Amino acid sequence: MAAKTETKVQRLPAEQLFQKEIDALIAAEKDPIPTGWKMSPRSVLTYITGGKVGRTVITPKYIGHKRLVEIAISTLVTDRALLLIGEPGTAKSWLSEHLTAAINGDSTKVIQGTAGTTEEQIRYSWNYAMLISKGPSLDAMLKSPIYRAMETGSIARMEEISRCASEVQDALISILSEKRISVPELGIEVPAQKGFSVIATANTRDKGVNEMSAALKRRFNIVVLPAPADLDSEMEIVQTRVAQLSESLDLNAQLPPQEVVEKVCTIFRELRSGVTLDGKQKLKPTSGVLSTAEAISLLANSMALAGSFGDGTITDYDLAAGLQGAVVKDEDKDNVAWKEYLENIMKKRGSRWLGLYQECKELNR
Amino acid sequence: MNSIVSQSVPTVFGIRHLSPAGAWNLINLLDAKKPRLVLVEGPSDLTDQMSHIVRRETKPPIAIMAYTQKLPIRTILYPMAEYSPEYQAIRWAFEHKRECRFIDLPSGVFLAIAESRQQIDQEGEENSINVYQRLDELSGEDGHETFWERTIEHTCIPEAYLQGAREFGKQLRELTQGRESDWAENLVREAYMKRQIADAVKEGYAPEEIFVITGSYHVQGLLSDSPAMTDEEIKSLPCLEAEKTLMPYSYYRLSSRSGYGAGNRAPAYYELLWQGLSRQKPSHTTYSYLSRIAAYQRANGNMVSSAEVIEAVRLAGALAELHGYPTPSLRDLRDAATTCMGHGNFGEISQAVADTEIGTRIGALPDGVSRTSIQSDFYRLLTDLKLDRFRSVTAQDLQLDLREKLTVKSEKSAFLDLQRSFFLHRLRVLGISFVRQTQTSQDQATWKENWVLCWTPEAEIEIVEAALKGDTVASAASFQMKEDVETGGNIAAIAAVIEDAFCCGMPESVAYATSALQKMAADAANINEIAETAFRLSTVLRYGNIRKLDSTPLLPILDQLFLRACLLLPSSCLCDDAAAAIIVKGIDSLNQVSIDQEQLDQERWLSTLNQIAGRDDLNTKLSGFAAAILLERGCISNEQLSTEVERRLSKGVPAELGANWFSGLSMKNRYALIARMSLWESLDKYLETLDDEEFKRALVFLRRAFADFSPKEKSDIAENLGELWQVNVQQASEMLYAPLNKDEKKLLEELDDFDFGS
Repeated sequence: MAAKTETKVQRLPAEQLFQKEIDALIAAEKDPIPTGWKMSPRSVLTYITGGKVGRTVITPKYIGHKRLVEIAISTLVTDRALLLIGEPGTAKSWLSEHLTAAINGDSTKVIQGTAGTTEEQIRYSWNYAMLISKGPSLDAMLKSPIYRAMETGSIARMEEISRCASEVQDALISILSEKRISVPELGIEVPAQKGFSVIATANTRDKGVNEMSAALKRRFNIVVLPAPADLDSEMEIVQTRVAQLSESLDLNAQLPPQEVVEKVCTIFRELRSGVTLDGKQKLKPTSGVLSTAEAISLLANSMALAGSFGDGTITDYDLAAGLQGAVVKDEDKDNVAWKEYLENIMKKRGSRWLGLYQECKELNR
Repeated sequence: MNSIVSQSVPTVFGIRHLSPAGAWNLINLLDAKKPRLVLVEGPSDLTDQMSHIVRRETKPPIAIMAYTQKLPIRTILYPMAEYSPEYQAIRWAFEHKRECRFIDLPSGVFLAIAESRQQIDQEGEENSINVYQRLDELSGEDGHETFWERTIEHTCIPEAYLQGAREFGKQLRELTQGRESDWAENLVREAYMKRQIADAVKEGYAPEEIFVITGSYHVQGLLSDSPAMTDEEIKSLPCLEAEKTLMPYSYYRLSSRSGYGAGNRAPAYYELLWQGLSRQKPSHTTYSYLSRIAAYQRANGNMVSSAEVIEAVRLAGALAELHGYPTPSLRDLRDAATTCMGHGNFGEISQAVADTEIGTRIGALPDGVSRTSIQSDFYRLLTDLKLDRFRSVTAQDLQLDLREKLTVKSEKSAFLDLQRSFFLHRLRVLGISFVRQTQTSQDQATWKENWVLCWTPEAEIEIVEAALKGDTVASAASFQMKEDVETGGNIAAIAAVIEDAFCCGMPESVAYATSALQKMAADAANINEIAETAFRLSTVLRYGNIRKLDSTPLLPILDQLFLRACLLLPSSCLCDDAAAAIIVKGIDSLNQVSIDQEQLDQERWLSTLNQIAGRDDLNTKLSGFAAAILLERGCISNEQLSTEVERRLSKGVPAELGANWFSGLSMKNRYALIARMSLWESLDKYLETLDDEEFKRALVFLRRAFADFSPKEKSDIAENLGELWQVNVQQASEMLYAPLNKDEKKLLEELDDFDFGS
């Protein structure tokens, strides 16, 4: 029965997907386990960054910045709330989901932050039919994920916190500092059990949407998640995701060869960081994010172009068109930066880059 | 292991250099054992410096230094901080009136080994296995520094430290035995040290009364049965003549010289560790590190609450626990501070971290103790360059001619003045008040330089201070320029450093500054800054060869700056008149650069100018100026010019814009302009099309455009126009030079009040 439902669901929560690994880690546990946790901090670290327990291989969920994961876990040990900040596509929600999956075996206590999120969704709301017919009672109360997390002493997740209106963010302040929710309608107060905490995520590009107040920021330990650490890991991510995408989208083109992926990742990384990969030359970064996710969609687009209108292999022309669109957004500044990049960097890279350089130059006239 | 504490051999205490825990445990063990003789690893001929080290005026960090007299100058340095085990051991011995000696190879031998080592290193890459890399992998943390700190520095039981350091040294030795390039050197040193110990025993010290302090690596060697060095072997050691001295040192220099023994990355933090140990409270370090960061942040206007410091302490503790240790390491502390006080960005607290970890402490020595290698280098150069007579308190002038003197025989004297110039410029860069450069009559200093030299006691002090920057005048100047580059701020300042480096004759510094300039140039958006920088570089390129230096490395960067200027220029020309006046200068110097440096992308420059000249939305004065340059460079024909004049001055174009354009056009090569009849024909046609009101308007601006023409030029123009209007020369000049009558004056005054709104 379980197997059947599995096939129908588009995406299982992390704790079900990696049930075996979690069970193996719990079984092999040797270190002390904090109250409310399912395993020790060290096992959580192994679960996220990969390793081996007995005969079970633990797949790495988050590659590269092991130290940041250590800081995140240590934060939760000290029952502080954790705020993960990063550019789009830096695996913030991914990390938060897996942290809760490993710590509580439950990653489903989530509030999705939007402009329409209300204070009730943070605290509690009512089943109004029941409220009118029977008056306020615990039965008529709809508890928010945070409320439930406080009751059970587990961790709640709050996605995209900076998208919420500031009064909604403020509701979190009292919860995080008092560690209790009062329900005046019922005359009760619910204290948080040991082990309660919140993992929030926020987007650096969305800073301006609803700037988080200093008061709220102070309630969190902030961990900034950077873009992939080096070219190889970024290429690895891009290649696997492009392969997955092309399968599900039926793009009638060959997968981009290593060289093309390397070129795109190189250009993206260099323009993103404002310095060449060898660190010798600084250059002007562009206004766009140029995230790993964008590199993936660029290559998928190029494949679609090649499959639908070309011979199925990605040419420099397809690539140049994609790059032009990704790098030069609407601003004049981007145009200058791209031109400079072409002349100062790409042109001097030699014959391997010549074709791409010429196509790009042609397009960027 | 037991033999160490048995009665027949001296106590050998293995340490890590610059280790606070080592110092603390060492003192405790010394207090317990009370040896009569303390032997310290360090050049044996430097023992006489110890009396200076323990003087009250001496404040660490200091360094013991030995250097060769002959060129190239080689130096060896033994830096000591307050928490150096060696320093504490020497102080202990003097306080308790015990004999204390250095027992390692004499400094001259070290210098000779260093010399031959350099030759070996040049021949082949070092082929040793990297122990520290393996240690990094095994410890599962960021590196051996953290490993050391966790396992050794947080130890406060003397016997445990002694055993731990000894075991570490032993295993390190077994791992690398015979495979490191300095293996042989280590054996020689150990044999020599053993000989020193044996000599002490012969003098009458019982072995158990002797206490040896050495790097943990050597403990095993000193305790082994291998023979001590014989007299003959000692005689056969290579040896260079060496000078010895003490010099003040700085925490900054300690931190910048990484590598075992030579320094450590975070001297100020290690001092905190030392204080924590002295108070027997390891947690002291955690608290004081984090509170210092908070204090620094507050002092610099960043809010940090005590609650955040408390959270940082807790987080650091949790991080240490995650690795199974009770005390946070430096890395744990730094990461906790970043997370809790820096909002996740290391950048926010990086300055506070630098201040807390490295610090600004500088050591001090009693007067007259120091005679550093840079001082002797300075005096040697003074004699070498025949400048001795200038070492007097009266100021004297010195004029240099940098060109090769063809009348003399040796190459050295042919370029004597050039070498002098290099030397004096280096002193100037170091800010040593002995030298001062004065202006020459030549416009762009090419081969002539004027200097004033005057010796003062302050100059001597300045040279000793410069010892912190390098061992020789040249290396100190190079360090100084590196610092100037780092604090430079804008590209023009860095271009100035490049010029300095050229004057000093130091190609490496040129290369360093150039790469820094490249990095910064990418961010430069101010067109005038770019133009000024390009102009400076171009000057260096033009006059660099008089200094016999290869200036070609500057070409690519000039290329890049020039490209950037071309790309930015059109949009920069979208500005008001006040800004335009400045940009005119920028365009002019860029044009000069493009003329001087033929290899630059001339086509792009001209097409940029064309674009500026042709666009209608830019400041018209700049459009006119661009046209003037194109005209000067012969890129605009007569027909093109008159078409352009007509277009710019056609009816419908506001008169002020047209006149502004004309004033831009007339800023260059007036003679050629005046000679072009077609221009005046077009101007004439334009004036014809105006009605009275428009004419008045245009007149105001045209008057301004012609205001800075000389009377001669004005009359030439009048002649041209006269010719068009069939007025003869005589009449025209009569008209021009006749005094104005009352009506005319009035008309002109009215013009001054012209209402542009109408």
